[in-house]
Amino acid sequence: MSEGQKISVLGFGTMGAGIAQVCAEASHEVVVLETSDERLEDGRRRMESFLDEGVRRGKVTEGDRDEALARVRGTTKVGELAGCGVVIEAAVEDLGVKRELLPAVAEAVGEEAVLATNTSALSVTELAATVPRPERFGGLHFFNPAPLMPLVEVVAAEQSSGETLDFLEAFAEGLGKQPVRTKDRPGFLVNRLLMPYLNQVVQAYDDGLASAEDMDTALENGLGYPMGGLKLLDLIGLDVHLHATSAAYEQTHSPYLSPPPLLGRMVSAGYLGRKSGRGFYDWGEAS
Amino acid sequence: METGKAEVHGAAEGLRRQKVGVLGAGTMGSGIAITVARAGHPVVVRDLSEDRVEGGLASIRKFLDRGVERGKLSAEKRDAAVSGLSGTTELEALADCDVVIEAIFEDEALKAETFGQLDEICGPETLFHTNTSTLSVTGIASGSKHPERVVGTHYANPAPLVNLVEVARGRLTGDEAHRRTIEFVEGLGKEVVLTKDTPGFILNYFLVPFENDCIRALEAGMGTVESIDKAVTLGLGYPMGTFTLLDIVGLDIHKAVSFALYERLRDPRFAPPPLVDRMIAAGHLGRKTGKGFYEYERAGLMGT
Repeated sequence: MSEGQKISVLGFGTMGAGIAQVCAEASHEVVVLETSDERLEDGRRRMESFLDEGVRRGKVTEGDRDEALARVRGTTKVGELAGCGVVIEAAVEDLGVKRELLPAVAEAVGEEAVLATNTSALSVTELAATVPRPERFGGLHFFNPAPLMPLVEVVAAEQSSGETLDFLEAFAEGLGKQPVRTKDRPGFLVNRLLMPYLNQVVQAYDDGLASAEDMDTALENGLGYPMGGLKLLDLIGLDVHLHATSAAYEQTHSPYLSPPPLLGRMVSAGYLGRKSGRGFYDWGEAS
Repeated sequence: METGKAEVHGAAEGLRRQKVGVLGAGTMGSGIAITVARAGHPVVVRDLSEDRVEGGLASIRKFLDRGVERGKLSAEKRDAAVSGLSGTTELEALADCDVVIEAIFEDEALKAETFGQLDEICGPETLFHTNTSTLSVTGIASGSKHPERVVGTHYANPAPLVNLVEVARGRLTGDEAHRRTIEFVEGLGKEVVLTKDTPGFILNYFLVPFENDCIRALEAGMGTVESIDKAVTLGLGYPMGTFTLLDIVGLDIHKAVSFALYERLRDPRFAPPPLVDRMIAAGHLGRKTGKGFYEYERAGLMGT
């Protein structure tokens, strides 16, 4: 794959900023589309502070940081995406928003561009159906934080051509990532495996199997997981997990994806995890 | 065969030295014996045949020697542990034990019966620990006339290396036995977590259905053996891919554990997926047969 393609990233939130950074670090020229200048500035700051942290830790040189930042520019005009050969959509997880956005972007970039979505909860197939030539559409699911997590899921929409999937896989490899191919089913691969486990952890905690600390210690020391399930939920955000597992449940009606009652209660109470200062643990100040 | 009256030097400071009997010289029994001996307690390992006892003792000594070679254990501690170590085929040799840790075949009736026999051999103060992973502590305890002294202590495998013991109290476990057990296990240098007498305790209750979910994802064509292992290690950060782990555990063992949990929980997520039976029928048990989810050049646990 030739380096230095022109890439468009749709959305400059946490995932969008991370993906834009990964692409820029791999020498691609990146145009990020957002809805306002303010959001573009927020996204740029997010990327800068992430790269600054990399410099501080000695993982990124100042020169590399400056070059990466120089390769990323923002726009609020869809028309400015013309000429991008690859589009990665990382807009808000709202079907209505994406349905409106994708055809407009497809028109701007033309029929030759490869289109990918970073959705984690929506159907890639449904999104592919919003653009002309849906065979050039697929999922490219990065994990948070995108610059650090090596895995990328390459998701086959029902319409995706083999050529598109081969391209996305090679593209992800070119970003220094390790792609795995999977089907467009709820949760794809990683979240399909993670969500039932997290739901089980919440229910077991509610059932009094052990204290939160003891459950997490068992999982960390006994199974070598980087973080116990309850601590992980506090990090992900209970509202985020509730949303993801509810979406998967709606599509499957699998009891293992059904959100455990305690999860909804905690979200109602505002106990969302680290970001609200309290979840299964008390984190002190919200962060 | 000696019954282990040897004096032990170098017991951990502040730790009351107790004589410990370990029932079963298999992987778990040997691993537990190493853990206990290393903490300075005299240990007597009991199994059914002299061959098994000798095999267990040899593997324990080898492990301790390797610990010295790798600088993980001082030669003095190794010597102390080895001199306090003995083996037997007689239950009677456990008469003066303060703690008996049972790590025999996963059969509830057999375990219960064994504790019943030990009632006649050991003093009334002796703690009975069961290292069951899937069975009921209460069911096992009911074999003893003093079920209040029976406590579940599940050592995560490999016991000498993993810093975790799940302490599970059965319905009949007494407060004093529970307290003494926590003290004893913490004295081994292990992190203790307290859990209930429910199938699989914490570890297997979460691990086994997760493994089954990975197998089902493979059956469903969500990925390949390699890509699902990648998703688990790179996406979730787990130390080993599920299929790599299952090949080490052995598909036959996984099926037994999974089915035992399923029978007790009646939750379909715990039921071994059909692919497990197919693999067992084909002899693809994992590393030990040279083929499981992956292929290995040589059969055996250390295969490449």
